[in-house]
Amino acid sequence: MTLMLTLFGLLIGFTLGLILALMRVYGAKEVGWLASGYEKLFRGIPLLILIFIFTFGIPSLFWYLEPLERPIAGVVLALGLRSGAYQSQIFRGAILSVNPGQMEAGRALGMSGIQSFRHVVFPQALRLAIPGWSNEYAVVIKDSSFAYAVGIIEMTKAALRISANFPELWALSMGLVAILYFIFTYPVTKLFGERQTKKLKDLGMGGG
Amino acid sequence: MDKTILKVVDVWKSYDDLEVLKGISFELAEKEVKVIFGPSGSGKSTLLRCINMLTPPDKGEIYLSGQNLMAPEVNLNAIRSKIGIVFQHFNLFAHLKAIDNVSIGLRRVKGLTKEEARVKALDMLDQVKMKNWAEHYPAQLSGGQQQRVGIARALAMEPNLILFDEPTSALDPELIGEVLQIMLKIARAGTTMVVVTHEMGFARAVASEMIFLDQGVIVERGTPNHFFQSPKSERVKYFLRQIDILYGSHEALLKEPNEEEIK
Amino acid sequence: MIFQSIPKELDELLRVLAFWDHILVGLGKTMWLYAWALLIGFFLGLLLALSRQYGGRIISRIATGYVEIIRGTPLLAQLFLFYFLPFSINSFLDDRGLPFIPIGRWSFYVSTTMFGRTMTMVLLDHLTLIGILTLGLNSAAYQAEYLRGAVMSVSTGQLEAAQSLGMSRRRGILHVVLPQALRRVIPSWSNEAAYLPKYTVLVFYIGVTEIFAQAHYIISETFLTLTVYIVVAVIFLILISLISKVLDVIYKRMAIPGL
Repeated sequence: MTLMLTLFGLLIGFTLGLILALMRVYGAKEVGWLASGYEKLFRGIPLLILIFIFTFGIPSLFWYLEPLERPIAGVVLALGLRSGAYQSQIFRGAILSVNPGQMEAGRALGMSGIQSFRHVVFPQALRLAIPGWSNEYAVVIKDSSFAYAVGIIEMTKAALRISANFPELWALSMGLVAILYFIFTYPVTKLFGERQTKKLKDLGMGGG
Repeated sequence: MDKTILKVVDVWKSYDDLEVLKGISFELAEKEVKVIFGPSGSGKSTLLRCINMLTPPDKGEIYLSGQNLMAPEVNLNAIRSKIGIVFQHFNLFAHLKAIDNVSIGLRRVKGLTKEEARVKALDMLDQVKMKNWAEHYPAQLSGGQQQRVGIARALAMEPNLILFDEPTSALDPELIGEVLQIMLKIARAGTTMVVVTHEMGFARAVASEMIFLDQGVIVERGTPNHFFQSPKSERVKYFLRQIDILYGSHEALLKEPNEEEIK
Repeated sequence: MIFQSIPKELDELLRVLAFWDHILVGLGKTMWLYAWALLIGFFLGLLLALSRQYGGRIISRIATGYVEIIRGTPLLAQLFLFYFLPFSINSFLDDRGLPFIPIGRWSFYVSTTMFGRTMTMVLLDHLTLIGILTLGLNSAAYQAEYLRGAVMSVSTGQLEAAQSLGMSRRRGILHVVLPQALRRVIPSWSNEAAYLPKYTVLVFYIGVTEIFAQAHYIISETFLTLTVYIVVAVIFLILISLISKVLDVIYKRMAIPGL
């Protein structure tokens, strides 16, 4: 369940983040302003509040889903919207880090702006974004623990249930869950974070 | 009678597997100016950092006015306050104004009061012709100006000797002159100096002895006259010609080097 | 009549705002938690960063381990862990007939009466203490990363120059590296400082009555779920924007050319 929430949250965030980043980097002033406003909004509201707004605040939002599934959708939406705001930052930073000369070279070859972006800037930006992403992945998977508050059984809630029934085991269950979270986050951030940054530096790909 | 300020005896230093210094020995008397030069990677910077024990040598001894710096009971901080060093990249404290850069050592290490330190610092800045820039931050100064403040900072501590680690190598050409002028001035005033540099004009003017270092070994040593009139080693001759080319001697550029000379 | 023309949303908002005393107490508690967490986080984070950079092998490994573990686990899990901890310790001590830690029975609070409403805010009790400690320990790990980055960005030549003047390593770090690092860390630190308030809402789940708790109360009285949540969201937005602005101003004031 934890993984599922994380996955969908990240996917929504990815799409949203990309669109917003493009809006801010290549869009007109007003468009960029809109994107920037979105970011500020969804970074400034606590995720928990966001979850509650979508799950309890607007109960008719997911009318087409089973009542039991609605909290999941609410959490995923909240995670996704929030992640979109942060991923937009990541993408924007990555796109801007790509040497501007690359875009120029692309157009000099005759490609249109959109083509240059798709084939030249975007692939590089993706690689540059990887360290930021690994961090975002870690954040989302940890934030998925908030889902417990709306009754979804993910890792943290599972541990709480165990300790409710077997109070002596709280340390074990909570500790185990903590270790599980750690196992999911630490290797990823280590692998894709610092090592990637170093690799990028070696390739000379503008460590923004 | 000449006091021996510095005695370096058979100093060896390696980094991991790489032997950087292999048995360096020399002496420095009071008011002497020694110039050390040689190709990059020859260990010149390492040697200076061994002398003020920032990176102590693996083997060998270093004596400052008779005191053995390698002895375990030595207070290195106190020793370092007696050895001044001027860095290639200036290393001025970026968060302090010029005057504070010069006075911080006086206050924190020598224990002067704020007022005393300020007076002395201003005097030092005056000597390097930077008095009007006392309230500026390093980022607001040119390279040459920063280096002069660096010299003032070293001078203020009234050290037994001052080490110069390629002080002009990081400077734009037109700024080199102002720094060399100051260095000439303090050399003539009797400061004991060890200078690592390529500036042969400076060496010719004030060096009492020049040492050519290559791959961690002293290849040749002698007075400036010796080097510029009749150097013995081929490596020295080749190096000196490269310096000539660097400073624009086109005749040297046009002359084809022999195969043996390059070795 | 005038009252009939007020739109439904405005009416709902006003009914929620009628609970302004609860909102104020909640907000106060939130900011209280935030301030302490930030402070603890800063000093502990600084200690951790310096240990990682300048400590010996053992110390820097311990510091790194702490930072990685805290950052790799959710805040919620940490809160629950620390919440249960005293109970375990107590049952452990109790089994052996030893005196145990007093839990839950003590509290320090402030109380004031304004405009006919009495407001009481708990400054410190068992749960608040745990909340503050956990938030602080958590924030420290994140702040340590920023601080470490800033310390590393100060070139090694600076410390070399300090030592060459005769300063010991400790004094060099204190008088030369730290002043520069602290100025350099402000942009990224401001980020953490501005967004920390968001995480204080989690302590609701170990029983601390901060603004989120107050929100639940108001909802139970008015059933205006959405409005209440939106009010809380807006409060956070304003709070965070304010903090950001203030830090921005401070940064500009403290700017040194070239740092």
